[in-house]
Amino acid sequence: MAELDAAAKERNRKLTSLMQRVADNRDERALGELFDHFVPLLRAYSLSQQPGAMLVADELAQEVMIRVWEKAHTYKSEKAAVSTWVFTLARNYRIDQIRKNARFMTNIDPESIWEDMSAPEDENPFELAQRSRAEDKVREGLEQLPHEQRQVLARVYLQGKSHSEAAEELGLPLGTVKSRVRLALQKMELLVERQQL
Amino acid sequence: MKSNKTMANYHPAAEQLTAWSAGSLPLSDALCITAHMENCKICRNSVQRLNQVGGDLLESQAPAPASAALREQMFKRLHEKQAEPAVVQPESTHTESANAPEWLPKCLQQFGIENVDALPWQKQSGSISTYQLARDGNKRVELLRIKPGGSLSKHTHIGEETTLILTGSFSDEQGVYRAGDFMQLDERHQHSTQATSDCECICLTVQEGPVQFTGPFMRLLNPYLKWRFNAAA
Repeated sequence: MAELDAAAKERNRKLTSLMQRVADNRDERALGELFDHFVPLLRAYSLSQQPGAMLVADELAQEVMIRVWEKAHTYKSEKAAVSTWVFTLARNYRIDQIRKNARFMTNIDPESIWEDMSAPEDENPFELAQRSRAEDKVREGLEQLPHEQRQVLARVYLQGKSHSEAAEELGLPLGTVKSRVRLALQKMELLVERQQL
Repeated sequence: MKSNKTMANYHPAAEQLTAWSAGSLPLSDALCITAHMENCKICRNSVQRLNQVGGDLLESQAPAPASAALREQMFKRLHEKQAEPAVVQPESTHTESANAPEWLPKCLQQFGIENVDALPWQKQSGSISTYQLARDGNKRVELLRIKPGGSLSKHTHIGEETTLILTGSFSDEQGVYRAGDFMQLDERHQHSTQATSDCECICLTVQEGPVQFTGPFMRLLNPYLKWRFNAAA
């Protein structure tokens, strides 16, 4: 557990310094190293939603890496780990593609929805200090999740399934899927007490 | 700084934020959540951590190695792009209007709303009117406007209805809801709503069907409301 943790931290440090070299020095060798780390993961991400679609996977991986290069100056290491940032780029790319292929049947533009909306007030030192603690909790929690909770999260995050699609595929009632998501969030100390209707 | 705005009391459910973060929500619902989050630090914080779940899951996958050609191809594309004359790209593709009302979330500016009074509102009752912003499959995204003190008699909803208060406030049997509050109601909820008497209330709503009245007399209107909802499609 502690070793895994140390390995993850070491990886984060390395990725962050590569990102810095890309942003500050426009260093193509650093981008190459990021490519070697992320492209196999991005291809796996794409293949988990569309198994066997190799060209789609190559295209997503390549486009996301180009965005990493182009948007490098907007990456803030104090706000999110590189992997988190790359995940959001891949997610946004996927949403764009689904919309272009007209699966959504809508005139809503997704660009302004998943845009960075953080306000200056989110960046005070107290919160930034808390962030790294919270980050550890999420990682540790995720590693310890029971199989069935992790499976649901993987469907939602990697395969891009809605809760009801996940429920249908796993042969579970929708309520069970939702409660597994909640239990997982609880374990990662991610469930903020909130009032809702 | 948006700190002058009141803090929301009602938030999207945790699993809704999860789906937002994963990118697996219909755009209409995602739009409502973003509109809420623009003024809700609590939910922005949660989403930042939820994004990390995505990042950690991305890292934990079995890698699917690429061919060596892909690396070359990416650098080739990158160099081609850099050789092109730089196109000055606006930060966003839609023009943000300076005249938009102060309470209008940024993500709704894509609909080009400036003067609320000039919109072609559709009158639904004496005190309620709606304006359709977008459609998303079988869902409709609308602005709902309630006159000061206006009310909607006892009703329920077909399918799910999401409501975010943009300005003003209203109340029902359970309590008072203010700007920023996010609510998701379905056919299990039955309530009557009333806008606060001193100001009008404008909400963002996503609905799968029209409201259904449950009172003894008002329910006679339901077939008509259904017909009108579908006719507007």
